[in-house]
Amino acid sequence: MTPEVQQMIEHILKLIRKPGIAIDENTPLVSSGLIDSMALVDLLMKLEDLTHKRIPAGKVQPKDMDTVAKMFATAERVGKQRK
Amino acid sequence: MIPYANLIAALDAAPGDRPFVTMWIDEDERETVTFGEFRARAREQANSLAAHGIASGDRVVLIMAQGIPAIVAFTAAMMLGAVPAFLAYPNFKVEPSKYQSGLAGVTANLSAKAVVIDKDFPQEMLTCVTLDGGSLLLRAGKTLSAKESSELRTQIRPGDLAFIQHSAGTTGLQKGVALTHAAVLRQLGYLSDALKIDPSNDRIYNWLPLYHDMGLMACFMLPMVCHVPVVMQSPIDWVMQPEAMLQVIDECKCTLGWMPNFAFQFVPRRTPQNRWKDYDLSSLRLLINCSEPVRATSMQEFENAFSIPPGVLQSSYAMAENVFAVTQSDVSTSGPTRIVVDAQTFRREHSVVAAGTENSSTLTFVSSGRVLPNHEIRILSDEGSMLQTDFVGEIAIQSDCLFDGYYNRPDLTEQAIVDGWYHTGDLGFLHDSELFVVGRKKDLLIVGGENIYPQDIEELVAAHPAIHDGRAIALGVYNPELGTEDIVVVAEVEQPALLANATELEQELRTRVVSGMGVAVRMFYLKPPKWIVKSTAGKAARAATREKLLQEHPELNGDRSA
Repeated sequence: MTPEVQQMIEHILKLIRKPGIAIDENTPLVSSGLIDSMALVDLLMKLEDLTHKRIPAGKVQPKDMDTVAKMFATAERVGKQRK
Repeated sequence: MIPYANLIAALDAAPGDRPFVTMWIDEDERETVTFGEFRARAREQANSLAAHGIASGDRVVLIMAQGIPAIVAFTAAMMLGAVPAFLAYPNFKVEPSKYQSGLAGVTANLSAKAVVIDKDFPQEMLTCVTLDGGSLLLRAGKTLSAKESSELRTQIRPGDLAFIQHSAGTTGLQKGVALTHAAVLRQLGYLSDALKIDPSNDRIYNWLPLYHDMGLMACFMLPMVCHVPVVMQSPIDWVMQPEAMLQVIDECKCTLGWMPNFAFQFVPRRTPQNRWKDYDLSSLRLLINCSEPVRATSMQEFENAFSIPPGVLQSSYAMAENVFAVTQSDVSTSGPTRIVVDAQTFRREHSVVAAGTENSSTLTFVSSGRVLPNHEIRILSDEGSMLQTDFVGEIAIQSDCLFDGYYNRPDLTEQAIVDGWYHTGDLGFLHDSELFVVGRKKDLLIVGGENIYPQDIEELVAAHPAIHDGRAIALGVYNPELGTEDIVVVAEVEQPALLANATELEQELRTRVVSGMGVAVRMFYLKPPKWIVKSTAGKAARAATREKLLQEHPELNGDRSA
């Protein structure tokens, strides 16, 4: 697990504030109801910070953000260099 | 007044070289069609639909992602005199079988001739739109040979149905609001006068979904009929990157938009503060708060963050059953009227007594403005009698834009329209002839401007073997952080011992709700048997259970709804 992935997991745990919930790279977040659509923006902003990329929402579907592993794969696929 | 016999005649009169819809994908990618190009594409699509046997009066369900092809297909159906209805796109969170059964209900109720999907509708979601009734499944955007592309000669009369709007959720899908061309044109006439629409200088910004009345009317019908350009984003893109809205308004110099209350907080809070100043929103003439109760704090937050001058943020009260707006605040003033009232009198006597300045024992309400021409409002008591000004009751409306009833559902229509008055289920009061909306009488949750029926959630939760039948209640609790309601569910387990595994059970229930409806529950409260308050008929009593939950869980008391 890279430090960025670890930081993302910690960020998500803070966001959902549910004691007793453990998540890893492959835990479904959106499709399990842990994260609602209004929280996706926080994940996308964090992903931009961690990857130092600009990620246009127009190229991302909520399903691309369902797990931490998918988030980083999405950043790799559609992320652009910051202007 | 709008001088056209029907919506298509209004489109035909638009200047061909004026931009109509710009679809914004991101800063490097957008697509624009002029009114002329749009008409040509819609005619071509209409011919294609006609070749599949779609004709005047046929109901056509459209399941298409937000974008120009969806608007083209909707207009094409109207060109044939057919009656289109947008449905929400399948959400990847929702099980295909659930979506499919909702769709089956709609197509059966409308006796839909066809369901139209995108040209690129994802293969893996095709099971969502498997149809077993008599409806055809068609793909939009199929082009035809020039020979088949003949001139359309459909006669559309003002009293003909133009389209059908649905609200969200399984329950909402049973309520198709059918609207005539004449009613829609009357509404747009009133609205464009109230907003002083100037087609050559205005440009609308929109992220609202087109299956929602605010998206469909304010951001598709109004631009089409009044010949105003509109710049559009997909609602999903907006929710994932609300900051992009600021960029769109700045770059495209948009002048006009509509959003539900929560968005006025969501955008500033989800845009890093050091970038607030990067956007020039001075082109904005009006941004209208609509479809959730209007909160003064939410408006203030948006104004402060982006240095919005007074008079830009305005308010309106609208619903699909009335085509769209019932009231609109006066756009020539510095903003909607605010009233500070004594909280105790408001809660105990359901009436409004002005209280001077704001403090801990007052409540502040924001006006949604006065009624549009030929609209009337009554405030009704629980017994149905008319209440005086300054008393809180159910809002009932009458107008020349009002729908005739829910399509094919005389039973639901009869409950909703009594003696010509539509009972909205919203609670409010009149003060100086202005309407103030304060909450809901009907058991409806409004989350981010979307209507969610609690029964749909309760059914999913109570179907779990660990939950006692009929002992689940879904509530909307106002979350001041978000500026909208949170979904809170309280449910009784079958046996107290089941509470030992509450975390796992909660997660199973959470997944059930999201895969059934696509919405996430913010808080779950699992309770021992007999915790939920029952009515004398033995049914779960929503209001009393709500009181009990709020008392036992003070963390929910950010709630300030009436």
